[in-house]
Amino acid sequence: MNNLKIVRWFAKRSIFVVLLVVLSLGSFLSVVPEIFAADIPVVAAKANEGATSGVELPQFESGQSSADSQLPGGQSAAGEGTATAAIEEEEMAPVQYRTFFGLDPRTVVWIVSELHLMFAAFVLGVPIFAVIVEIVGFKGGDIKYDKMAKEFTKLLSAAFATTASFGGLLGFCLFGLYPEFMGHMTNVFSPTMYVYALMFFGEAFTLYGYYYSWEILKGTAAKKWFHIFLGIMLNLFGTGLMFLTNSWATYMMSPAGIVPETGRLVSLYHAVYNPLWMPVNIHRLIANVCFGGFVVGAYAAVKFLGAKSDEERAHYDWMGYVGNFIGVGALIPLPFAGYWLGREVYSASPVMGNIMMGGAFSWTFIIQAILIGMLFIGANYYLWLGMGRIKGSERYTRFFKYLIFIIFVSFAVWLTPHNLPLSGEERAMIGEQYHPFSKYFGVMAAKNAVVNLIILATFFSFLIYRRGNKGEMCSFSEQGKAGKIGIFSALIFCLLMLISYAISLNFVELEENIKVFVKPLILSLYIQSFVVCLAAFLTFKNKGKLGQALLFAVTACIAVLYFWYYGFQVMQKANLVLRYLSVTQVSIVMSCLIMNAIIDVFMFRKAKLVGGIVWGKMPARSQYALILLCVVIVILMGLMGFIRSGLRMDWHVYGVLQDTSQWAYTPTLSYMGRIVGLIVVLFLGLVAFVFWLANLGDKKENKKTNTYEYERVTADYEGDR
Amino acid sequence: MNKSMLKITAFGIAVIGFYIYITMYVAGLSGTGSGESAGGVSPEAGEKIFWGDGQCSTCHKIGTSGSATRGPDQEGLASRAEERAKELGMASGLDYLVESIVDPDKYIVKGYDKIMPRVYDPPIMLSREKILAVLAFLQTLGGEPDIGALMKYKDKIPEASKKKVKPWVPPIVVDAAEGEKVFFDETRPVTCGKCHVVNGKGKKVGPELTGIGAIQTAEYFIESILKPSAKIVKGYETMYVITTDGIPYNGLIKSETEDELVLLKEESGEIEEVVIPKPEIAEMKKQEVSIMPGNIGELLSVRDFYGIVSFLQSLK
Repeated sequence: MNNLKIVRWFAKRSIFVVLLVVLSLGSFLSVVPEIFAADIPVVAAKANEGATSGVELPQFESGQSSADSQLPGGQSAAGEGTATAAIEEEEMAPVQYRTFFGLDPRTVVWIVSELHLMFAAFVLGVPIFAVIVEIVGFKGGDIKYDKMAKEFTKLLSAAFATTASFGGLLGFCLFGLYPEFMGHMTNVFSPTMYVYALMFFGEAFTLYGYYYSWEILKGTAAKKWFHIFLGIMLNLFGTGLMFLTNSWATYMMSPAGIVPETGRLVSLYHAVYNPLWMPVNIHRLIANVCFGGFVVGAYAAVKFLGAKSDEERAHYDWMGYVGNFIGVGALIPLPFAGYWLGREVYSASPVMGNIMMGGAFSWTFIIQAILIGMLFIGANYYLWLGMGRIKGSERYTRFFKYLIFIIFVSFAVWLTPHNLPLSGEERAMIGEQYHPFSKYFGVMAAKNAVVNLIILATFFSFLIYRRGNKGEMCSFSEQGKAGKIGIFSALIFCLLMLISYAISLNFVELEENIKVFVKPLILSLYIQSFVVCLAAFLTFKNKGKLGQALLFAVTACIAVLYFWYYGFQVMQKANLVLRYLSVTQVSIVMSCLIMNAIIDVFMFRKAKLVGGIVWGKMPARSQYALILLCVVIVILMGLMGFIRSGLRMDWHVYGVLQDTSQWAYTPTLSYMGRIVGLIVVLFLGLVAFVFWLANLGDKKENKKTNTYEYERVTADYEGDR
Repeated sequence: MNKSMLKITAFGIAVIGFYIYITMYVAGLSGTGSGESAGGVSPEAGEKIFWGDGQCSTCHKIGTSGSATRGPDQEGLASRAEERAKELGMASGLDYLVESIVDPDKYIVKGYDKIMPRVYDPPIMLSREKILAVLAFLQTLGGEPDIGALMKYKDKIPEASKKKVKPWVPPIVVDAAEGEKVFFDETRPVTCGKCHVVNGKGKKVGPELTGIGAIQTAEYFIESILKPSAKIVKGYETMYVITTDGIPYNGLIKSETEDELVLLKEESGEIEEVVIPKPEIAEMKKQEVSIMPGNIGELLSVRDFYGIVSFLQSLK
């Protein structure tokens, strides 16, 4: 089909598509028929709720009647004194809320902001991916990396415009539908909004510069480095933009730098650097890389499934592998970042923390567990299937059954709710409000333990995948300086992480009777430090495998088994120690992952190959695993967005500016499910459309000359892993 | 669209469909139903409001759920309400519950103070529907919910207040963060954190103050600091104990067993534990005096005083 035909085809059907979307939206959201309804002024908006703003303007004088109204600037209207004046004032009352052509504004903002956020995640995550891939290609002299990086930057430029369009729509929606709230936000953040606009220019210029200068800046190392510099600047601008918008979003959850009673700005620095800012920054940064990786994986899977030649299949199989590798790589530390964020939510507001984990939102974490479980299972399944294309990997397939068992049991524990709603009769039968057996699997101690076990199991899957076609290893002394420096660097990093935290635990301010519960944590950190040293020592003595096994075993014993048990003890006797226990657990697992990965890299660096990798020889179901990962990460993002935003309950700015509109309720899980489902369909549909648009120009060209030069079978790709 | 794209689309839609099914299933499991909001007049919605927006759990517990003691334990409330209604000559227990929420000062349970705020007024500002939902939930505590009967009381329940909240502004510029420092500053002669817990920090001698800003006003805090005995939270009344040797003690009961009584008594700004064997107790009675020192106002500067009030107000 040529381009003209495509355009005609689209034009013919577009009216039906638009109609279908409008009808679907209408029925989906159960809209009221009053389309094009007028603005809802403050009084009408509260017909059902009857509540007014929880925040008054400044300058309240003690003893003033609470019924007195105030004019802007703090002048009291009392004393104007007539009923007419009061009526006029009410008529002139500023609009707090409007509807979106009759649609519920909250749901409209929800959908638009989530779509904007998803595109933004793609636009921020993929450049990180692209620049890393470009550097790897440049340093390794492998042209296919460079081509893949460029292919994704091309998609990026098309997605960037869509992101910006959604950003504009979101801005208009917020200012139009929530004028009072946005007035507050503008009062607090207006200087940062100009910085945001300037950085947006920076991102746009570097993105287009990065893409369009790709071919021009080739040829010399200096030119290529300049091109990479542009890519890094693109990432810096993108990250800066994300950090700025994060400050607005997190301020709404944990406002700081203002006088809560009046909303007056005291410190812009504190408003930006509010308690949740940095945890959300880190969480989103890692999540964006993960998101970018899985979207790339799915793109490759779609291309693989539609490929016409073995060369194409080999290329997209390899691309899918790289996407999945980056996605899983970022997925592993994500629960740690998430835990930190959750802990800070508790610290910022225990009420919000309780709403999150023990209140209205606790059930959403069951759904989150299902989705994250699907991600880990999908990623492992893809790796296992991937071993089918590696000759020599048969040696490791016996581990699959154990890994499946570990992952599914861990998943089941993770899914176990702390408590199920019990009727009075059931409660009487049980004799307590919690189930006598399942309650032990529902608490955080158990969940933290199994999450770490899943992470260790996934990491093990990755290690055996790496080793698939590796045979006899050479002596460690043959690895030269690089091997020694690599192992030493990893060792020092791990020791610094473990020992510095162990030392800091000695100085935590706790009462003596509680502080004794910290001592086992310190001991565990020292034991792990010793084992990390031992693993490095054994590697130098050509017994790296033993070192790795030892490190795995000790980590599993401490971080999973012992901390599972000890977590219960701490919960019952010294709840305050839980936060230190979790950080200890994370540090121990991280040290295991880092040290084992580095040992594995240097141990097998010059190992003999048992067989090659037949890129492209993958069953279709492996590609569906990649697509599953992409769809699930998009759903997960939608779900977590709902949780993060919903935790504010009926507050625009938590504890400061109340949402007094009739839509200020927490949607049920099923309604949330439908809306998030709709958002995911819209996002994936739009991504497919944008990708199709981006590739439109290449179709004809590709038909004439397929420039990819890949080996069908190979060790050629061996170095990629 | 080629065959592989059709398959991919179908697969993607199946995954999203599975997710929507899971959310509906979990919604059913959690009792939040499949409607648009967790609102509406139902015991489930009311239970959420009780532990959430309504802030009821700041003062009330239900059996083993919650730990607040400012207000009466709500376990078996519906059946107790029926008994009270009979004593007061009311038609039903529901009458009593509605009246107790609409006008909290009307019936005060013996041993408790007039501290319950009007939940339809700021800062809680529950809508009529939410109050009805809470009532539906309260009906389940020792009884059966009867939404039909409940809805007949709809017009008796005021709509949420339309009064604008006039924020209390201290007479001088103070910072709540500074107030927090003073609250926990152990270098001072008296430290609030030695007796009150806020967000897990401090010692639990007096009532916990986490979330107190959501239910009490600045005026209440000022009075409580300057005149601690004016309003004593239930469960924190001072006990007056005279031993058989004639030694008198004033303090809070920390624990009590068949053999001994552990009292917390204030001595020069410090809290000390006194263990008194039960056989040695000659007399024991509740006092209308708080263990909290009455001279805190004199020990704080004006800025520190208002800083603490601002800090307490920010605890929402």
